[in-house]
Amino acid sequence: MKVMVCLKQVPHQDARLDVNGDGTWIQEDNIKFEINSYDTYAVEEALKLKDAGSADEVIVVSIGPDRVTQALRTALGMGADRAIHVNDDAAAGTDALATAKILAAVAKEEGADLVFAGLMADDDNASAIPPMVAELLGFPSATGVVATDFSDASVKVERELEGGALEVVDLPKPCLIAIQSGANQVRYASLKGIMQAKKKPVDVKTLADLGVADSASAAQNKTTINKIYVPPKGDTAEILSGSTDEVVGQLVTKIKELGLL
Amino acid sequence: MGTVLVVAEIQNGAIREASYELVAAAQGIDGAEVNGLVIGSGVGELASEFASKGAGKTYVVDDAAAENYNVDVWSKAIKAAAEASGAELILIANTPTGWDVAPRIAAGLDCAFTSDCIKAGAGDGGYNFVRRVFNGKLDAEVSTSGRTVATMQPGAIAPFEGSSDGGAEAVSADLSAGAKFVEIKVAESTGVDLTKADVIVSGGRGVGDPEKFPEIIQPLADVLGGAMGASRPVVDAGWLDHPYQVGSSGQVVAPKLYIAAGISGAIQHLVGMKASNFIVAINKDPDAPIFEVADIGVVADLFDIVPALTEAVGAAKG
Ligand SMILES: Cc1cc2nc3c(=O)[nH]c(=O)nc-3n(C[C@H](O)[C@H](O)[C@H](O)COP(=O)(O)OP(=O)(O)OC[C@H]3O[C@@H](n4cnc5c(N)ncnc54)[C@H](O)[C@@H]3O)c2cc1C
Repeated sequence: MKVMVCLKQVPHQDARLDVNGDGTWIQEDNIKFEINSYDTYAVEEALKLKDAGSADEVIVVSIGPDRVTQALRTALGMGADRAIHVNDDAAAGTDALATAKILAAVAKEEGADLVFAGLMADDDNASAIPPMVAELLGFPSATGVVATDFSDASVKVERELEGGALEVVDLPKPCLIAIQSGANQVRYASLKGIMQAKKKPVDVKTLADLGVADSASAAQNKTTINKIYVPPKGDTAEILSGSTDEVVGQLVTKIKELGLL
Repeated sequence: MGTVLVVAEIQNGAIREASYELVAAAQGIDGAEVNGLVIGSGVGELASEFASKGAGKTYVVDDAAAENYNVDVWSKAIKAAAEASGAELILIANTPTGWDVAPRIAAGLDCAFTSDCIKAGAGDGGYNFVRRVFNGKLDAEVSTSGRTVATMQPGAIAPFEGSSDGGAEAVSADLSAGAKFVEIKVAESTGVDLTKADVIVSGGRGVGDPEKFPEIIQPLADVLGGAMGASRPVVDAGWLDHPYQVGSSGQVVAPKLYIAAGISGAIQHLVGMKASNFIVAINKDPDAPIFEVADIGVVADLFDIVPALTEAVGAAKG
């Protein structure tokens, strides 16, 4: 079974978020990037299948500029077999659907039997791409998956609903599974893994290589971000000021007023 | 502007509030004609109700195959209703159902998509939306061109409460499905029931280290006679068990006092605690969205404030 994992490199969760010059995204120069947290759980889920002997090959795929190589190398260091890096200026700033078309083209070319992705990206919070990829491939899909149980013909997954309830769904293979955070304990890339990763192949591809230059570039976007900004402050908290002792004093007074002391 | 198809979601035998929020969003779009869609088994009456409470003409896919949510059944039913209504905009609530199916519809119709929006309006050849990015730290104005599928964040706007004329109209679709529903598992109840606590002190990813929970978060909870809670990353990392998690996929609480330390205030956390009577937020980032729902904010290092507060409360109790 050939397993593909879609991963996105996103600004580090603790990176400074400053709006860029034209006000349409954040300023990305000189900030740290990392693998989207949800996607790390997707990589782990794929590697578990490899450990169990049911995946022959785990391929990690990412779209983005040169910096993305680092995210792919990390995933290879964790144990993925090879990587595909779609690096093409025409893919910069593609909307979710165009991005999904690129990923679906990779999955088709590879003949993936199973596609994993993260439920959501930490930067755009869109939760859009995985079901789109599935639709384009004609695969059944499930999102928010916290547990998987594989058999020859199908995968039984548990999807997280609200308030702690779970929905159990059986998906015939081939299929796509979007993993929720916390689904597993994500392994770190070991030193040995990192050394081995240096020898693993990273294939760089353009949209033309994938045959989607005319159908999946940013020029085809149907959704555009026009402006990004710090949300206007509404009815915000009264901010206490002063030394730690003064602030704590004010908090104690308040807790007393609430009748809790 | 064009027809807006509002997809209802049924929860515990009734149309959920988030669906009426979608109706309000659709009604608020200049010149829009609102249509509804109800999917399920034995849902004729609910469809009539939706039609009369704001959705107007309501398509209904009433089939045993739709008894439980199924991604394939839903995507085929919605695509069929989109064709029948000629809808230019399809609105779905951003719930576990919405985020599972909505992107598939957009890919299937090869049209624009945006998600978890807090505002929707008519645009130039499409629609305009406002949505949160970076876990609520920034807002984005998004525009779409042509036909659009969008999901709306539950609770972002008030539900529609008026009435409308319109009846239910059956729409037929091939509902064959690859995915098979097996069962719903409900959460097992455990020892920790945060909903009964008067005071909850929750720690987030900012606490940074599993040892710090028993060391500094639990003692403040103890001295206040309350319980300890956490945000999701703390539970995902295995630092605390799931019963401690507050939020949309954890417990929904409303104590007399909720103290959030090192929690940024992502919407999924806020929905679990914003009904608390009094909220104190301790965060070193002055722009953290948690301050939007807090009554009192402290912009400081939690490792300074929390232990000092524990001590001061202890001293005040004498
Ligand atoms: C479907 C779904 C369901 C979800 N369900 C839930 C849920 O039930 N509950 C939940 O909580 N989340 C849930 N989430 C996750 C949610 O989107 C956020 O990722 C999560 O709430 C962030 O947790 P956090 O605030 O602890 O971490 P972060 O967002 O990383 O924030 C950490 C904060 O700590 C602050 N900080 C760091 N160090 C210090 C210090 N020394 N002193 C003071 N402040 C400091 C930082 O400024 C930052 O604001 C869900 C997400 C999805 C997609």
